Amino acid sequence: MRIDLDPPPATSDDVHHHPVVPPPQAPVAPSRRDPWWVRWGLTTLALLVLTVLVIIPVISVFYNALAAGVHRYFANLFLDPDTRHSILLTLAVAPTAVLCNLIFGVSAAWAIARFRFPFRTTLITFIDMPFSISPVVAGLLFVLIFGQQGYLGPWLKEHGISILFSPPGLVIATTFVTLPFVARELIPVMEAIGPDEELAAISLGARAWQVWWKITLPNIRWGLLYGVILCNARAMGEFGAVSVISGHISGQTDTMPLRVEKAFQEFNLSGSFAVASVLTMLAVATLLLKVTIERKARKQLAEARDSVK
Amino acid sequence: MSITARNITKRFGSFTALDNVTLEAPAGSLLALLGPSGSGKTTLLRIIAGLEVADSGSVHYQADEVTHHSARDRNVGFVFQHYALFRHMTVFENVAFGLRVRYWPEKKVRERVHELLHLVRMDELSGKYPSQLSGGQRQRVALVRALAASPKVLLLDEPFGALDAKVRQELRTWLRKLHDEIHITSIFVTHDQEEAFEVADQVVVMRSGRIEQAGTPMEVFEHPANAFVLDFLGNVNVFNVSVQNGMAKLGSMAMPYPEYPHSESRDASVYVRPHELRIDRFANGASSLQAKIVHITPAGSVVKVRLRADEFGLLLNVDVAASEFAELKLQSGDVVYVSPRRLRLFVPDYAI
Repeated sequence: MRIDLDPPPATSDDVHHHPVVPPPQAPVAPSRRDPWWVRWGLTTLALLVLTVLVIIPVISVFYNALAAGVHRYFANLFLDPDTRHSILLTLAVAPTAVLCNLIFGVSAAWAIARFRFPFRTTLITFIDMPFSISPVVAGLLFVLIFGQQGYLGPWLKEHGISILFSPPGLVIATTFVTLPFVARELIPVMEAIGPDEELAAISLGARAWQVWWKITLPNIRWGLLYGVILCNARAMGEFGAVSVISGHISGQTDTMPLRVEKAFQEFNLSGSFAVASVLTMLAVATLLLKVTIERKARKQLAEARDSVK
Repeated sequence: MSITARNITKRFGSFTALDNVTLEAPAGSLLALLGPSGSGKTTLLRIIAGLEVADSGSVHYQADEVTHHSARDRNVGFVFQHYALFRHMTVFENVAFGLRVRYWPEKKVRERVHELLHLVRMDELSGKYPSQLSGGQRQRVALVRALAASPKVLLLDEPFGALDAKVRQELRTWLRKLHDEIHITSIFVTHDQEEAFEVADQVVVMRSGRIEQAGTPMEVFEHPANAFVLDFLGNVNVFNVSVQNGMAKLGSMAMPYPEYPHSESRDASVYVRPHELRIDRFANGASSLQAKIVHITPAGSVVKVRLRADEFGLLLNVDVAASEFAELKLQSGDVVYVSPRRLRLFVPDYAI
């Protein structure tokens, strides 16, 4: 075994960059794939379930919405004051809830991913709680807190603040129900990326906000966007908690999902389907956005995991 | 600018990472913190940088006490083990970062970045992203990024650990040359003894949160303070002997050891480096050990001979100079005699 005592003259390591040619792929032997009838059978079953539970209902929403004619459809949406108000209310409440959860989610994710502190596990469990509580129960929770007989009721009445049966209550209920989305999306991303880049920035003289703006945020942007989209979708469609807390006052505290129910109960079928169709279109738009962003978010997370060896 | 860390103690829960450690790096020196995993060397480095806070003790840069200054205020250059390059910025922006956060004018930023990239022969790569670079290139970017804002102190955390042997060698040489040129006080952490010896002026050997020995590479290698330092630095043969009355005995072998003149017999360990043993064809008095050659490995200017002393079931490694080897005409299977030119003996302390 010889060991060279004089190392070869120093060359840059990038000169020796040969592109790697992968070996040719062998075709998968037939015996290692599932039999054709298994594949086709399962695919057909999945498509059948999807058709019955999703596609047919969605189509029927649009069919029923337009059944009385296109003119009536637009009249339902824009001429009926209650419907108009419900659309505007949803477009105000949902983004507000999303903004609250954006701030909360980012702060919580950063604290959880970067620090160890007492009650950290409790915080993580608390963030997951809205998933397991029924939205109706959540709504009831807030009634018990903010209602006239509730803990804060008298104090709120004294100061003339109304939470129940008014938009602030809707925002609170919606925020609670959509709490986990942003945080849960960000915690794995921030843990995978690790604190090194942020520490490097600090050692190079960056102030806290510079670290945040130039380093942390760009690294989490796709995961953040993805979380926001999911949060928004859920917020717009929330029914249970909002229903309990809103009091169903037409023209004042009905969001779109509540309006669908109210119109349906008033036997205004074409009206209720019209609003439902708007919600469905919002859902489809969210889905398309989600698919585009999801790929980028997963890629960012995978790259973060790979880069720390 | 000299660096002094005094009486540093740091605990993580019940684990003591650093136990009352004091370190001094003279201005302009290149010091290596050397030790096995868990010895506390990275923790000490991070405390000096300001990335961790010690439970007690103080850190001084020259005359200033910086213990309560954040990493930002200490103006250190820190190189991370896994580079920590900003993944969404180009090489240029990475190196420029330290200057941009200090609001340097654009023209000066460009000048300085190009000067630094030229220093590491990476001019053409300034527009690339870290994911497009090789490991060696990334580390060079990390190094010049740390140097961009002319820090007073350069701290490196196992900077070459994640690289191939050849690239590591190149960068070690480059770091030494850089230090010779700009004389910035530098401390680097490594677990590779060869690297520490090749690059550093001063070596500090650490174990389990304490400093075992500090000195030049020569001092530490030739005059190890204890068995751990001796064993950690380089290959060594270990014999378990007993000492009594000024002699160290192993079976029928005996060697004078005047440092222990007592009549009470004690167990001790003898450490001999491979080049400190000699092989002869004939027994050489009471300190010769009979052994059979098991394996011969040529290695340039020395020949590594492995022998087995059946009497004690010991395996020995001896480095024989190539010229001596040629004279002795040793072959595998030969029975020869091994005697020490020099030995170090450590008597373990008794617990009272």
